[in-house]
Amino acid sequence: MKKRLYLELENCIGCRSCLAACTQCGGHEQRNRNYVYDVNPFVNRQTMPLMCLHCVNPACARSCPAQAIQIHETGAVLSALVEKCIGCQNCTIACPYGIPKFDTEQNLMYKCDMCIDRSKDGIPPMCASVCPSNTIQWLSDEEIEAKQRQFNLNNGKWVTSMPYLEGETNVKVNLPGILQGVTKLF
Amino acid sequence: MQTNMSSQAKSGRSINDAFASHFAKSVFLTIVGLAVLTFIGTRMFTHIDLNLYGYMVGTIVFIGGFFYRFIAWGERPPTKNIIKKGLKLLFRRNTAKTAFNHLAIFDFIRNRGVYRWIQHILIGWGCVLACLVTFPLVFGWMYFTMEENGYYTIVLFGMNVMKVNAEGVIAFFSYNALNIAAVMVIAGVCMALYRRLKNMQARAEQTFIYDFLPLYMLLFVSITGLLLTFMNIVMHGHGQPIMSLIHQFSVIVTLIYLPFGKLAHIPFRPMSVLARNYREHYGEQSMKECKVCGDKFVSIEQSNDVIQVLGINDIEFEMKEGFHLAELCLPCRRKYRISRFSGFPTHQIKVKEANQNAKG
Repeated sequence: MKKRLYLELENCIGCRSCLAACTQCGGHEQRNRNYVYDVNPFVNRQTMPLMCLHCVNPACARSCPAQAIQIHETGAVLSALVEKCIGCQNCTIACPYGIPKFDTEQNLMYKCDMCIDRSKDGIPPMCASVCPSNTIQWLSDEEIEAKQRQFNLNNGKWVTSMPYLEGETNVKVNLPGILQGVTKLF
Repeated sequence: MQTNMSSQAKSGRSINDAFASHFAKSVFLTIVGLAVLTFIGTRMFTHIDLNLYGYMVGTIVFIGGFFYRFIAWGERPPTKNIIKKGLKLLFRRNTAKTAFNHLAIFDFIRNRGVYRWIQHILIGWGCVLACLVTFPLVFGWMYFTMEENGYYTIVLFGMNVMKVNAEGVIAFFSYNALNIAAVMVIAGVCMALYRRLKNMQARAEQTFIYDFLPLYMLLFVSITGLLLTFMNIVMHGHGQPIMSLIHQFSVIVTLIYLPFGKLAHIPFRPMSVLARNYREHYGEQSMKECKVCGDKFVSIEQSNDVIQVLGINDIEFEMKEGFHLAELCLPCRRKYRISRFSGFPTHQIKVKEANQNAKG
C-alpha cells in the first residue's frame, strides 16, 4: 500500500532525532538534509521540522538545466544525479521552501530524497522511523483521511498542505492541535 | 552552430530556408564538415581504410542521435539560459582553469572520494585516448605509410608529420595506444563494478539498466579489442576476422547508445564550465540582497532567470508581502515557511538558526 510522509508539526519537541537519523541513511554520506526550526525562540520552545515536501510539480526540477533532479515513480523528488549535476544552483533559488543544500567542493546539490532506498520498498524514511513524538509519520491515504475526520473542525480549517503551501505536495502537513486549542502531551 | 537564423528568416531567400529546422541544419553542417575533413585527410579519398567502414556508418548514426538528444535538451528554458549566457562568457580568464579542473582532472570527483576519482580517471581518459585514435583512423585523418623500409610516415590531415622508426618508442605507443586505453578502461570498470557490488549505498540506489549496462558495454568493447591483439600476436591471426566484427558491433552499439543513457554525461559535462562562468561573472556584477535579512546570496541575473523560468512553467511564488520566494535567502525562506505554518512571523526574528547539523 502506498504510504506518504505526514507531518503533525506542533508535536515537535526539538530533539533533532530526525536530523541525526537523516545522516545515517544510505546515500546521505553522514550529512543531514532536513531542518528543525524554533518558531519563536525568545518566547517559547515550540519547534517545527522542515524537509523537502516533494512537490507534485517541483520547481527545483523545472529549473534544473541538466535534468539532474528526477522524479521517482513513488512521487519522491530525488537528489541530484551525481553525474548530471553541473553545479549551477538554480534549484536552491527555485525551491519555495529553501531545501536543497549545495556542496561547493563536490560541485553537487543534495536534498531530501525521501530515503528512496527505503521508501521505494514501503519502508518509512529514516526521520519518520525515529521521530519520538509522532511529528513525522508514515501513513496511507486512508489513515490521513481518518486523521482529517478526527480533527474535523467544522470551520474548513483542516490545515493540510494546499492552502498554506505553494502547490500540491506529496508530503502532507498538518497543524490540528493548535487550531483546536488542544494541548498535546508527549 | 546556428547564428543568424532570426535576422535572415524573413527574407525568404536565406540559405536557412533550405533546412526544415535548426536541428536539420546543424546535422547537415556536421556531416558536411566530416566529409570535408575526410576528403582532405584521405588525400581525396585515396587512403580510406575500408576495414573501418562500419565505424563510419555507426558514427554518423551516433551524430543523429546526439543532435536529437542535445537539441531536445537545449530547448528547455533553464538549459537555454545557461548555454546562451555561458557561451557569451566563454572567454573569461578563468575558463581554462575551470575547464581543466572539471573536464581534465575531475577535481570535484576527487572531493567525492579518491577511489571513485581514480576509477573515473581510468575510464574517462581511457575512452578519450581510444576516441582520439579511433576517429582519425576511421575518417582517414591519420594514417601510416611506409616509403622507406623500416620507417613509418605518420600522415595527419594529408600532411606528412613525421617519420618514425618502426621499432621505435613512438611507433610502439602508436600501435599499442588502443591496448593501453583498453587496459585503463578495464581497470576502471572493474573498480566501478567492485564498488557497485560492495558498497551498500550504491547497491540501494543502482539499477541494472541505468548503472550497470554502460559499464558492461565498455567492458565488452575493451575485452573484444584486447582479444584482437591477442589473436594477432599469440594465435597468428586465427579467429581475428570474426572477432573484429564482434568488436565493431560492440563499438557501434555503444556509440549509438551513448547520448541516451548514463554515458550522456560525457558530451553534456562541458555545461558545468558554462554554469561556473555564469555564476562567477554575474556574481561579480551585482548580488541580490535577501528581502528579509539583506544578506547577499545570489547574483541578480540568476535570481531573475530562475523567476522567469518558473514563470514559463506557470509556477508563481509571489507572496502577499510583496516578494517572490526566490528573493529570500535560503534560511529566511525556510523560516518564512515556518511562519506560514505557525502564523507567527518567525522570519522577522533576528536570531541565527539553531543547531541544524545534528551534532549535539
